[in-house]
Amino acid sequence: MKKYWQSIEAYNSLKNNHEIAEDKVSEFSVEGMSEEEKKGETSRRDFLKMLGFTVGGAIVAASCETPVRKAIPYLNQPQEITPGVANYYASTFFDGNDYCSILVKTREGRPIKIEGNELSPISKGGTSARVQASILNLYDNNRLKGPTINRESIDWNTLDTQITEKLQLLAIQNKEIVLLTSTIISPSTKKMINDFLNTYPTAQWITHDAISYNAIRKAHETQFNQAVIPSYDFSKAALVVGFNADFLGTWLSPVEFAKQYSAARKLLNGEKTMLRHIQYETTLTITGGSADERTPIKSSQEKTILLNLFSTLSNSLKGTVYSLSDSSVNVTALANELLENKGQSIVVSGSNDIETQLIVNAINNILGNYGSTLDLAHPSQLKQGNDEAMISLMERMKNGSVGGIIHYNTNPAYNYPEAKKYIDGLDKIELSISFAESMDETAMLCQYVAPDNNYLESWNDAEPKIGFYSMTQPTIKNIFDTRQAQDSLLKWMGATQNYQRFIEKYWEENLFNKQSTHLIFKSFWNQSVHDGIFVSEEKLSANYSFNEAALKATEVSTKKGLELFLYEKAGIGSGNFANNPWLQELPDPISMASWDNYLCISPSLSKQLGLSTEDVVSINNKFEMPVLVQPGLQKDTVAVALGYGRTSAGKVGNQLGTNFYPFIQIKNDLRKTFGSNVNIEKLEGKTYPLALTQTHNTMEGRSLVRETTLDKFTKDPASGNEQHALDAAKDATLYTKPEFTGFRWGMAINLSACIGCGNCVMSCQAENNVAVIGKKEVRNRRIMHWIRIDRYYSEESDNPSVVHQPVMCQHCDNAPCENVCPVAATPHSGEGLNQMIYNRCIGTRYCMNNCPYRVRRFNWFEFANNNDYDYNMNNDVGKLVLNPDVVVRSRGVVEKCSLCVQRIQEKKLLAKKENRQVMDGEIKMACQASCPTDAITFGNMLDPKSEISKVNKNPRNYHLLEHVHTLPSTSYITKIRNKKS
Amino acid sequence: MRLLYANRMNAIKSIVFIFTLLFFLFPTNRQLKAQEGKDLFAVCAACHTIGGGKLIGPDLKGITERRNEDWLIKFIQNSQEQIQAGDKIAVQLFEEFNFIPMPPNNLSDDEVKILLSYINNPTGEAAVLQPTTEIVEPKEFVIEPAYMKKANSRNYGTIFYLALILLIIAFSDLVFTRIIKAKFVHIITMLISVFIMGEIIVVEAQSLGRQQYYQPEQPIAFSHKIHTGQNQINCLYCHTTASESMYAGIPSTQLCMNCHAVVKSGTTTGTKEIAKIFKSLESGKPIEWIKVHNNPDHVFFSHAQHVAVGKLDCVDCHGPVETMDLVMQVNDLSMGWCIECHRTQEVQFSNEFYANYKTLHEDLNSGKRSIITVDNIGGNDCQKCHY
Repeated sequence: MKKYWQSIEAYNSLKNNHEIAEDKVSEFSVEGMSEEEKKGETSRRDFLKMLGFTVGGAIVAASCETPVRKAIPYLNQPQEITPGVANYYASTFFDGNDYCSILVKTREGRPIKIEGNELSPISKGGTSARVQASILNLYDNNRLKGPTINRESIDWNTLDTQITEKLQLLAIQNKEIVLLTSTIISPSTKKMINDFLNTYPTAQWITHDAISYNAIRKAHETQFNQAVIPSYDFSKAALVVGFNADFLGTWLSPVEFAKQYSAARKLLNGEKTMLRHIQYETTLTITGGSADERTPIKSSQEKTILLNLFSTLSNSLKGTVYSLSDSSVNVTALANELLENKGQSIVVSGSNDIETQLIVNAINNILGNYGSTLDLAHPSQLKQGNDEAMISLMERMKNGSVGGIIHYNTNPAYNYPEAKKYIDGLDKIELSISFAESMDETAMLCQYVAPDNNYLESWNDAEPKIGFYSMTQPTIKNIFDTRQAQDSLLKWMGATQNYQRFIEKYWEENLFNKQSTHLIFKSFWNQSVHDGIFVSEEKLSANYSFNEAALKATEVSTKKGLELFLYEKAGIGSGNFANNPWLQELPDPISMASWDNYLCISPSLSKQLGLSTEDVVSINNKFEMPVLVQPGLQKDTVAVALGYGRTSAGKVGNQLGTNFYPFIQIKNDLRKTFGSNVNIEKLEGKTYPLALTQTHNTMEGRSLVRETTLDKFTKDPASGNEQHALDAAKDATLYTKPEFTGFRWGMAINLSACIGCGNCVMSCQAENNVAVIGKKEVRNRRIMHWIRIDRYYSEESDNPSVVHQPVMCQHCDNAPCENVCPVAATPHSGEGLNQMIYNRCIGTRYCMNNCPYRVRRFNWFEFANNNDYDYNMNNDVGKLVLNPDVVVRSRGVVEKCSLCVQRIQEKKLLAKKENRQVMDGEIKMACQASCPTDAITFGNMLDPKSEISKVNKNPRNYHLLEHVHTLPSTSYITKIRNKKS
Repeated sequence: MRLLYANRMNAIKSIVFIFTLLFFLFPTNRQLKAQEGKDLFAVCAACHTIGGGKLIGPDLKGITERRNEDWLIKFIQNSQEQIQAGDKIAVQLFEEFNFIPMPPNNLSDDEVKILLSYINNPTGEAAVLQPTTEIVEPKEFVIEPAYMKKANSRNYGTIFYLALILLIIAFSDLVFTRIIKAKFVHIITMLISVFIMGEIIVVEAQSLGRQQYYQPEQPIAFSHKIHTGQNQINCLYCHTTASESMYAGIPSTQLCMNCHAVVKSGTTTGTKEIAKIFKSLESGKPIEWIKVHNNPDHVFFSHAQHVAVGKLDCVDCHGPVETMDLVMQVNDLSMGWCIECHRTQEVQFSNEFYANYKTLHEDLNSGKRSIITVDNIGGNDCQKCHY
């Protein structure tokens, strides 16, 4: 059997053929306990204290009068609201980085959950972890409660008068006004900004992205005369080659790509071919983990390898051949594979380096991918940041020629590499305004802050790709005294109409004529708002010609020291959501660390320097940082996640980790996330605790994840799953077999589809009111997530192969937890659910002990209304996110996945009311509904026609720990890699 | 279920759209039965009588003789349409009845005909409805219901203290005064008193947190007895969402105004209490009712499940509300009480939803079971209510 390992210690013992050492850390934390308690003794005094407390408590409880509860109806009940019944509104998520079309679930007028919009041809009903967690940003108590001047609150009228006066004065003085924004994909906002620029002729509009993709646009400008990012279609490709592009996790449009990618890799309906994916990358990402072949490369080598690849391809296709330079990677095999898949392959690179992107374009062009998998007619509108404009702005700010600056959804004082210079420049500007939702680093330095609405309180539109329109509508009235940035700008322009009317007008004038279904504008508008999307026929001219430009791969100067690679984490991203406790606690899908960033070092480097995880090193003798040994990281590189080290994010996000934006290099007018060099030095004896959620070393010789290759699969569909037949043969029991009538719910998870992105964890957290417990308790292994994504490594530690496995309660028919509960708090339901009844639970934790899957969670503390856990459940605003259909658990009870029983009950009731049967696929689990890879199937196993019954009959289907004979209702589908042998 | 947010209907008179909630009272797939005329009329009864004089709308006695059927069908289905179309009779009626529109009714032509035939010939006494303005106090409302007697007999306090005194006396005589020589008398007395006290403690402890016979004063002296007892207003007219949602719904102030825009003076309290509704409307502050029936937070209870699917009557759980001036919680709403009902209550097994339960259907056909109760289909599973 293939040997899996989860940590570097386990890998070393495997290598040395040693038995893996027992986990050294004791099961329960003894931190802060007295000596007596550590021994597990209870003194007589303690006993009497507890006795007294119990009796006293009972007396107090008994003598309390029943509280008077009020029932306050509406004064005037809105027509669309039925209290107790959820409404869904189509909307759009766009935070300046990621785009996603969504449905917002509201209860009694309050948004509580985000689902994917299945009508969208781009996100197709998927979401990402960040999209799921964005709902909590709405209820962030740290948001600004009203406009401020020099951090003192003022009213909107005063602010408007003062700002308008100053803007007009600057215009008269002929001084520059800068409108600095993140990428804007809203056509209406763009039009409005143009109007603003016309009103104030000295105004300049500059786009700044935290993580720049400028090189792709520049390269296309050189080669195709169009400064665009093409739209990529992975579903049309047979071979994808990625170079440091984490397109399933963070790169460009991960939800869209994950949908396309996974659809071509499931092999559930008898397909014999699957998308092949080869990844060259520096640090291990979920994209590299999902790849069929992965090669660690130094990011500075990337363009040499690409140029060699181009030359090899060019050689066969009779194009320009460049002299091959030395490269550690042999590209002949790769070139042959690409040639076999001419016109149906994609080569992508995530580097913001013009030479690299020129070569990538040349490769895609020579392979004929433009027009098939790469679409220049519908280019992506995301990532419009212009590095050059930003550099020249810095220059002008330094000279003092800028008179006013307005920041919209951008935070250069934190995420610009030369933030210090930016801050100095800001000092010289007479009028500085920010639209920040909370007092971020830039807003702190601005005179005026005119807080923007959250996107769930706003009207907006979006055009993520040419011809693909999308609508944002408010799902709640603004909670605080905020105003949408667009409305503020309109006010300052002297416009009388509001932004909602502005969008309507824009759609009426520009989009209404691009469709023929609706004859009246109102009906077109209503349909678009209802659907959340509108797709028009428009496209850019298909007439693009390729200008051959001389390609080169200039050597990146390699100073001494280690090369630094900066990456984004799937949860935290660029750091704009740093104050979101859900995202902070979401473990990184690869390193399994939460609440921090850290210096990733390769196993060989760790050996060389004698470093292990949690040791502290000094970087360039300037600051200190913990290290984490990351298998799969290129051995001469160290990697750090961006998005940490915020100083003004809010209570949750401040001072977590270290800010590495200053390490981004500005070269050739582009900002690069690699290329700088660092020296690291071990600080002897110093350690820093990291909150890792998965530290257990081994699968203990059991095949928890099962995988096979495409070759083996085509010969035998059950390959890799041989154990299943062996275990099934031993199916015998003394217990009576449980019988079901009506329903028996079951779930199946396709390991071939799962990429480990963490969307399900966030979705479950939002749906089931899962508590955030903070770094200390995560370290104590008390994380509350009902679904966790286990990550297993196998093969070599320098370049491991990765499998992700989501694990939640398996709802065993023969559940070991059920028969050890002394108070019957966890019985089995007639529909096959393993029920957990909180009000009955007395907290013995026997069930947790007896659960072989470790999916039960204990509430060690009261996580709501507790100042020690000062997250969203400790303030009135944050609590608005709670799902009213699910109980908030109190201290001392066990909780776990309920198979979203509230969703099952809701849809069953709906079917009963409509006098019909429950349809297959009608009930969707929170984890399943918005999964960007559709990895999860759920349904009634008693219905032979249901999707779940079909999947369960698949020869790839197996259960976790089948030999224990727990008879789980949840099953897994083996992973298939597209490899020979 | 997606709704248009764009088309907010601020401008439309709120009275109109509260009326539209009445739609819900007419499930479209209703089977047509003759006796349904009475049910259908229950909604009309909020504003109309048959032979009882004018209310908010006209007395409907002999309506089929006054107007022709086609006109009636159109007008009942959507009166506003008729008015806007300029129909003379419709406009005249609208003006005569203070411009209070009759909400459109989602009824088929056949359903309207059934309704009309019922109005023509209402059978049974209950159908002759009395107008609000008349004070009628039929005898049966005066009789004190049985549960009230029970309420009076539950004062255990005196018995508890008597038992306690007895215990102390017996104990002190045993140890100190020693008047009675035979010790078994002390012991038996003490045992009896301890037993009595113990039982009282157990009973009282069980009802901790329960609110049986809870009858708080409400901010407005609203009487269910007058509204639903005397005036026969259907429960669902005010508690609109009981068949739709988990919550039965407390009517909004605007909903009260449907009738009280016209009915400005009550029979017992005059204008004093009704004026509070106007005050709420003027001040923009909703009325803060005291909740009588409370479930603990860890219980999920759905009215829709019980009302729309289980076809239970409101009184099955809430007691004879139509006889109460001030609502009282009649049942203890304990888990035992829920479970007991689930064990005996028959499921509406003809609902297509239950077609899945094949074994139960077989049992029913073969005569192995005579009825399917709620617990047969898993109604007593913990996670039917606790999640």
